[in-house]
Amino acid sequence: MRFMTFIDFEGRKLPVRDGDTVASVLQREGVTVLSRSFKYHRPRGLYCVSGDCPNCMVTVDGEPAVRSCITPAADGQRVARANGWPSVEHDVLSMTWFMRWALPVGFYYKLFTMPRWLWPFAQKIISRVAGIGPVDLTSKPEKLERRNHHPDLAVLGGGVAGLSAALSAARDGESVVLLDEGMIGEKVAPGPVRSAIDDLLQAVRAQSRVTIVERSPVTGVYEGPLVTAAAAKVLHMVHPGRIVVATGAAERHAVFPGSDLPGVWLGRGAARMAGVHGVRPGKQAVVVLGTEESLAHLETLRKAGVGIKLAVAPAALAARLPTDIPSLVDGQVVQANGRRHVKSVVVLTPTGDRRVVPCDTLVLSLGFTPRDGLLRQARQGTVNGAGQVVSPGCSVDEARASGTQAAQQRSSVPVEQSVANLPPVPEAGIVCICEDVSVGDLACAWREGYTSTEILKRYTTMTMGPCQGQMCHAHLRAFVRQQEPNVQWTSAATTARPPARGLTLAQASAGFDHHLELRTALHDRHLEAGARMGWAGAWHRAENYGDVLKEYWAVRRQVSLMDVGTLGKFRICGPDATEFLDRLYPMHVRTIREGRSRYTLMLNEAGYIFDDGMIALLAPNEFFVSTTSSGAESIEGWFRDWKETWKLKVHIVNQTAMLGAINIAGPHARELLSRVSTDPVDNAAIPYAGIARVTVRGISCLAIRVGFTGELSYELHHPASRSVELWNALMEAGADLGIAPHGLDALKVLRLEKGHVIISQDTDFDTTAGKIGLDWAIKMEKPFFIGRPSLDRLASIPPAKKLVPIRFAGDSAPDEGAQLMVGDERVGYLTSCRYSPLLKCGVSLGWVKLASGVLPAQVVAVSSNGKRRDVGDIATGPFYDPEGAKLRA
Amino acid sequence: MALRIDCPNCGSRPFTEFWFGGVLAGEPPTPESTIDPAAEFARVWYRSNVAGMQTERWFHFAGCRRWLTACRDTLTHAVHDVH
Repeated sequence: MRFMTFIDFEGRKLPVRDGDTVASVLQREGVTVLSRSFKYHRPRGLYCVSGDCPNCMVTVDGEPAVRSCITPAADGQRVARANGWPSVEHDVLSMTWFMRWALPVGFYYKLFTMPRWLWPFAQKIISRVAGIGPVDLTSKPEKLERRNHHPDLAVLGGGVAGLSAALSAARDGESVVLLDEGMIGEKVAPGPVRSAIDDLLQAVRAQSRVTIVERSPVTGVYEGPLVTAAAAKVLHMVHPGRIVVATGAAERHAVFPGSDLPGVWLGRGAARMAGVHGVRPGKQAVVVLGTEESLAHLETLRKAGVGIKLAVAPAALAARLPTDIPSLVDGQVVQANGRRHVKSVVVLTPTGDRRVVPCDTLVLSLGFTPRDGLLRQARQGTVNGAGQVVSPGCSVDEARASGTQAAQQRSSVPVEQSVANLPPVPEAGIVCICEDVSVGDLACAWREGYTSTEILKRYTTMTMGPCQGQMCHAHLRAFVRQQEPNVQWTSAATTARPPARGLTLAQASAGFDHHLELRTALHDRHLEAGARMGWAGAWHRAENYGDVLKEYWAVRRQVSLMDVGTLGKFRICGPDATEFLDRLYPMHVRTIREGRSRYTLMLNEAGYIFDDGMIALLAPNEFFVSTTSSGAESIEGWFRDWKETWKLKVHIVNQTAMLGAINIAGPHARELLSRVSTDPVDNAAIPYAGIARVTVRGISCLAIRVGFTGELSYELHHPASRSVELWNALMEAGADLGIAPHGLDALKVLRLEKGHVIISQDTDFDTTAGKIGLDWAIKMEKPFFIGRPSLDRLASIPPAKKLVPIRFAGDSAPDEGAQLMVGDERVGYLTSCRYSPLLKCGVSLGWVKLASGVLPAQVVAVSSNGKRRDVGDIATGPFYDPEGAKLRA
Repeated sequence: MALRIDCPNCGSRPFTEFWFGGVLAGEPPTPESTIDPAAEFARVWYRSNVAGMQTERWFHFAGCRRWLTACRDTLTHAVHDVH
């Protein structure tokens, strides 16, 4: 069997040969229309065959806009063409070409604007007609990895110049990463260039200091410098000392009527198809020769069996043509005819005659355009171009020397943006094949006042398509240059930006899914108890154990445990510890008695709340400080910042990871603790807000009597290594008291019944204590604390809104985030809302606007779909146990 | 993306190992200093958005856990004088 593998092309099985790309498979099978153009749905076929132009883009295995000419064919690949109706082969939408008088450049700014109601319909139609293929919304992207490289030199492009640069640097003892978008050499047809590449590659492979990264298109050069290259399964991040850009040149894009028809090929592309893949681009060709290498291309085509109908060449090249080829000296191709494929071309002879030559293929070698997008992106560090990207059309020896020299440069040589190499100004035809911008469109935009490359590009979207200007950027500059020959900056090269090559969202987000996951010592214990775990910042915490109501009643009526090991826990000590904390916190730190704790807010210098927690004095100048679960990391930074700023003698020990914490909450909490503790736990030993060392089943714990749930509760801070032991002992001892652990879901109800605020859920970045009813936590009589100068100033501004508890009657609660209305006026929104099983009403916190300093008595909560409306009464204090009798029991 | 900071304690590291601590804008007050409300307000609230060199604070959370003061060129991301 000759053919072993097949691709699935729109339901047909097409055989694949060794070294095939998707495009070469399709070309061999006679598929010539690969896509439809963006705006007019013109048929498009293979053109550059080097990964630059947009014509060969197809959908491969559900991924749209894949360039088939650089995508290796693989067995079972599903390939389909996109953006044609009913099909790309026969596209009715190509009728738009005949309506182009109605669709001038920027038509979406001009049409459908009156009457206004027309625009949404027009937009729907335009977005269906335009585009380059649908995205499969059901596909789940893979999570990809990033790989970092830190070489002395990064070389972009594995041609003669790039390989020479890599070899030179490696021989000087430097580490090199060499990146290529395909396999090195694969695009080049057999010949002297290919032989040079093969030899160099062998020499480079022998160098252990060179890392060759193939099939990894470079998508951008960023500051740093950083080079990103998107391989299929990994995003390469290269952080080099220096960069050599050796991306070569692409053949000059041709612009004349019909130049975008299938059957029109650029010389290197046709030679690649014939020489590398052994597939002939067509049967009868007209060949235009304009470059030194085009003679070799012609030979390659002939060998592949392409009949040459006519060779058009300048005198110097024509003299070297084989004699059996009909030739035309100094002629010019001015038009290609055909509806779905080239049928004939019109050639202008030097004498001014127009000759129509029937053929099915037109091969154009008109000159070179440097592939300099990446070179123009690189704006810092040592970046140098080598080979054809800086001197298009240079010889193999010149490229070799240029690569060697660039590798040794220790500073950047500025790239000359000369206008000398610009192509002739196009007169008619489609100049931007990505976005279907014609020469007429350009002229029209110019007349409308868009008179420089940068704004012409923005208005016409020329150079902004998949080729990123590789085809038409030089033509754009040439056009402006002709219109405005005296003002240089108008025709300057436009700013190049990443991505230079397309990449998928999965590639762009590679490496971002590596979340830090923090688990408490009790993680497995929760799983055993059937917990549903959820993310709370970087922590994995138990949301519930299957029955939220049972957990809730255990806290309110019996006794319950909660794993609060996620809290930020700090030991702050040293001779200046009291002074340090007193400066940091807005409450009195000096007056905390030994064995007592206080609730405290944390303010930033703007006077806004950014965290809260508890401060306890263990011994003189020795404090235990807790913060919210999410705050621990950033607050350590905050502590250290102020310690270093004030140069105080303080030790800061972050005990978050070394200490576990279990909260025992409920009316039977003391009973439970006394059963397992060898130390007294009565009100005299641990009063409300008290803190004491207790030994529980041989485990030394710091017991703090604080409660977020509103019930009698003790937080037991203990070595995390003994968390499981302690948890098990408590669960066992509380079995006859009806003990059950509770998770975050139950806690959210419990704390709302008490009106407790969760910083960052209920507060914004500009929340002051006064706005959330915690004025008492700010001691303005203190002469100094962080945020105080700002609060002095803010005191003169009356608050515009307040966070207040709101009660909703009924047997379910409104949605969190519901809008709050008074009459027709929107006055705020709910930040938290739950149904209280005990109080049999909805309990919530919400921001409400003050009207002349007064809160409304009632608000209406409107759900996001507007269907549900609940009347709520604004409350003044906690809904549950407002006097705090349960806490102090 | 590829901003690197030469930490005096840990060596050259990517900026992703650091937290940005804002622009260093004057000395914060202490209990001993007399606070000029207008000057303090300007220090805390006003940002100049410099195009060029500015002095910043960076916290090396994934390294030495020390605060560094660094001069960064906001145009090129070149970082100098880290201490």
